[in-house]
Amino acid sequence: MDTKDILAVIEKFNQTALAEFKYREGSVEFHLKRHADVVYTSAPATVSAPAAAHPVAAVPAPAASAPTGETINSPIVGTIYRTPAPDAPPFVEEGKMVKKGDTLCIIEAMKVMNELVAEFDCEILRVLVDNQHFVEYGTPLFEVRRK
Amino acid sequence: MIRSLLIANRGEIAVRIIRACKELGIRTIAVYSEADRKALHVKMADQAICIGPPPSKESYLNISNLISAALNSRADAIHPGVGFLSENAGFARKVQEAGLIWIGPDPDSIDMLGDKIRSKENATKYGVPCTPGIEGAVTNIDQTVEKVKKIGLPVIIKASAGGGGKGMRIVRKIEELADNIKIAANEAEKSFGDGTVFIEKYLEDAAHVELQMMGDKHGNVIYLGERDCSVQKNHQKLVEEAPSPLVTPEIRKKMGEDAVRLFKGIGYSGAGTIEFLFKDGQYYFMEVNSRIQVEHPVTEMVTGVDLIKEMIRVANGDTLSVKQEDIRIDSYAMEIRINAASPGTVKEYLPPSGFKVRVDSFLYNGYTVPPTYDSMVAKVIIGAPTRAEGINKMLAVLDEFHLEGVPTNLEMQKKIINTQIFRKGGFGTQVLDSIMKEIG
Repeated sequence: MDTKDILAVIEKFNQTALAEFKYREGSVEFHLKRHADVVYTSAPATVSAPAAAHPVAAVPAPAASAPTGETINSPIVGTIYRTPAPDAPPFVEEGKMVKKGDTLCIIEAMKVMNELVAEFDCEILRVLVDNQHFVEYGTPLFEVRRK
Repeated sequence: MIRSLLIANRGEIAVRIIRACKELGIRTIAVYSEADRKALHVKMADQAICIGPPPSKESYLNISNLISAALNSRADAIHPGVGFLSENAGFARKVQEAGLIWIGPDPDSIDMLGDKIRSKENATKYGVPCTPGIEGAVTNIDQTVEKVKKIGLPVIIKASAGGGGKGMRIVRKIEELADNIKIAANEAEKSFGDGTVFIEKYLEDAAHVELQMMGDKHGNVIYLGERDCSVQKNHQKLVEEAPSPLVTPEIRKKMGEDAVRLFKGIGYSGAGTIEFLFKDGQYYFMEVNSRIQVEHPVTEMVTGVDLIKEMIRVANGDTLSVKQEDIRIDSYAMEIRINAASPGTVKEYLPPSGFKVRVDSFLYNGYTVPPTYDSMVAKVIIGAPTRAEGINKMLAVLDEFHLEGVPTNLEMQKKIINTQIFRKGGFGTQVLDSIMKEIG
C-alpha cells in the first residue's frame, strides 16, 4: 500500500458514516477516527426496542453461546455503540438493573445516533454484542430478565 | 471500482443480479426480510443481512436499513433490481451521498422521467411522438371538459405519479368526464400521495411496444430493439416477445433514433425502457421506466447482450461494450411469467432446459413461497429462429416445467399462446378478452 492508496482510503472513509477505521496488512497499519464530538453530538433519535420473546435462532449472534431467556433485539440495521462517548463507561453492564426508558445503547444508522431505550424494567443478564459491531435487524443485543 | 455489491431486492431478480456479479468477480451482499430467511438469493450471496420484518415498507423499502447494511458490509455499490426502490430518486441520491455507487441512471434523470407529465414534456422537446391529449395537468374541470370536446372521445385519465393502472380511467361519454377526473385524482392521491392527473386521447386496443435502451456516462446511448407486451391482465404483463410482429425494421430504426435523441438529450446512463403505444404503424410515447425490467431476458436472448452486466459496467464508469451496429435483431424470443395462484411449499420442482431455454426463478424443493410479496415465481424464456417455431418451442418447454405444491397459471399460459389469435400476432392490449373467448 502506497501513499496514494492511503489517501484514497481516507477519502472513501470521509464519504461513509463510519466513526472509526482500523487497517492492518503486513507491516502497514493505520487507524482513522472521526473527532468524537462530531460523532456524538448529533441529536439522538429514539427508537424503541421490540420486546421480542420469539426465537431468533437464525440470526448469527457474535456471542459465544445462544441466549436462552428473553432478549432485546436490534430494531434497525446499524453499528452499535455501548458507550455515550468513546472513553465513557457503557450505558449498561451485565448484572445492572434498568428502568423503562433507560438508554441501553446507541445504534448508528446513516450518521444518525439512535438511542435504544428499555421498554420495561429489567435486569441485564448478558450483553450479547461487542461495542462498535454491526447489527442486523433482529440481532439479539441483551439477554434480560423482566422485573 | 466495484468489487462488492449489495442487492436491494429479493426473488428471481436478486438471483439474476448475483449470477452476473459472480461472473464479474464481484462479492455479493444479499438483504432479506424475516419472511425471506430461507430465500435462494440469501443462500447464493457471499453475505446476507436481515433488514427488517416481512412487510416491504419496513424491510425492502427501508432506506436507512439498506444503506447501513451496505456501509457495514463494505459494499461499493447498490443494485436496486426491479420494483421496490428501483425508480426512487430519493433513494438513489442517499446511496450516492453515502459514498456508494448507484447501479442505475442519475437521480436527476429519474426525476425527469418519473413524473409522467414531465417525461411527456421531455419526449416532446426531443421530438418523440406523443399521444395527442391536453397539455399539462388538469387544474380546472370545466375548462378540461371543453378541451376534451375539441379533441374528441374516448379519452384516458392518467395519474402523473402513476403506475399499474391506479388512477387510470377511460371515459367514453362527456357527461361522465368530470366525475371520473375526481375519482382518478382521489385514487392517485391515495396510491401515490399525489392527485395530479392529465388527459390523453385513448387509443382503442393499441399494442404495448417498448424499446430497451442502454447508455453510459460518456454520452453513448444505444437501443436494443423492442419487446411486445400486449398480452396483459389488469395492466400486468403475462407474455413478452421480441421482436414485435407489428414493428418493421424501418419503424424500429426510426423509433430507436427518436429514443436515442431523448436519452442523449437528458444525459441518461444505465438501462431504461421507453414504453410506446403502437397503432396503425404509428408509435406514441407513453412513459419511461428508468430501471431494468422483469422482461429484460427477452432482449438478452435476441441480442446476446447481458443487460445486468452492462448496467454494472456503465455504473462503474466503463463505456458500453457494444455499439449500435453490433445489435442485430434476426431471431425471436418469448418470455412467459409463471405466477403463483396462492402461497405454498414446493414439493417437487424440475425446470425445463435445452438449447436457448432459460428459466429465471428462485424456487427450490422444500422452499415455501411466502404470501407477502409479488406472485411471480418463475420466468421461462426461449429463443428460436422464427415466431412460429418459438411458439411451438415454448409449448414444448412448458410441458417440461414440473412444479408441485404451488398452484400457478402455467396451464392457462399454455392455452393463451396456443390460440389462433396469439399465433396470428399483431394485436393490442385488449387481446386477452378475445383470447379468453377463443379458449371458451
